[in-house]
Amino acid sequence: MAQTILVVDDSASLRQVVVMALQGAGYEVLQAGDGQAALALLDGRKIHMVVCDVNMPRMNGIEFVKAAKAIQAYRFLPVLMLTTESQEAKKEAGKAAGAKAWMVKPFSPASLLNAVSKLCLP
Amino acid sequence: MPCTPSPDDPFGRTPDVERALVRLCAQVLPVWARQLANSRSQSETAVAEMLTAFAEIGPHLDMTARQSKQITAALTEGQDGITQLARACDRELEPVLQQITGPAADAVRRVITMVHKAVDALEEISKPFEYETQMVNLQVDRMYQGFQYQDRISQMMTLLHNDIERLCFVLTLPDVGLEDLDHAAWLERLQSQYVMREQHDLHDDVDEGQPSAHQGEPGAQGDRGMTFF
Repeated sequence: MAQTILVVDDSASLRQVVVMALQGAGYEVLQAGDGQAALALLDGRKIHMVVCDVNMPRMNGIEFVKAAKAIQAYRFLPVLMLTTESQEAKKEAGKAAGAKAWMVKPFSPASLLNAVSKLCLP
Repeated sequence: MPCTPSPDDPFGRTPDVERALVRLCAQVLPVWARQLANSRSQSETAVAEMLTAFAEIGPHLDMTARQSKQITAALTEGQDGITQLARACDRELEPVLQQITGPAADAVRRVITMVHKAVDALEEISKPFEYETQMVNLQVDRMYQGFQYQDRISQMMTLLHNDIERLCFVLTLPDVGLEDLDHAAWLERLQSQYVMREQHDLHDDVDEGQPSAHQGEPGAQGDRGMTFF
């Protein structure tokens, strides 16, 4: 059975690019437009990994990672932050929140898939 | 008409001119803001449209790549491959050639040569398929990256749009205070919202190639910024 990846980004076009790359590699994909919508999808279903933007309305990526890690069932859920944000302080905040990797857009599909294959839960 | 310098105004403008300037900005800036918002919206629509079309093309490209591989395999591999046909001709006709001479032997040799030439030609035909498939995949990767610039542009335009709207709001405040118009504080607040190196560089008016205060941070050039924690 294919692994499921949750993609969280407020940009519909960026989400579509990520989804196309992941689906092309055989992953199942769930989508959310911000942290709050993503949190609603953490309802007990099996999710193998999250690819998450940082700057989003309502709930940003860092807040989402903290909230997700606070849910017992998802405390080991790997999160890859995929963002235009390049400031070291933000990267450190992502790490402190519990993210496993930080990738700056624009990315190549090969790099994304390589990172996903390293981080995705079995 | 010449202006009488105001003591507080380094540009030497009269209070009337100052008021007219504020009125002008209050009228023009909302127009700029609307144009900017619409441009952003249109570029998002364009990219979404291209992505939708691209999503439709994707499976066809995959199919073409698979078929190309199958054609190459059919030509070169397996018992029924064209290459095997040439070898089978050699194998079957060689003993015959040992037993015949003269025009009959020449005719068989000509047939073998023709078969080999046909096989070579078919193998040559399969090569462009492989090359074209590789080239298409390379361009697909570039398109994936190209589409992502929309996100960067959108973020930059959103920030400018919000800042223009904020300025419009301040310009129309009836009881605006000097602290609201502190340009240094305004610029500092704007800069604090940047997320990309090029935003900082543009703010500081750093030309491309000049040293950036944010050197080392990834810019728009690609995913050189992959970090595992």
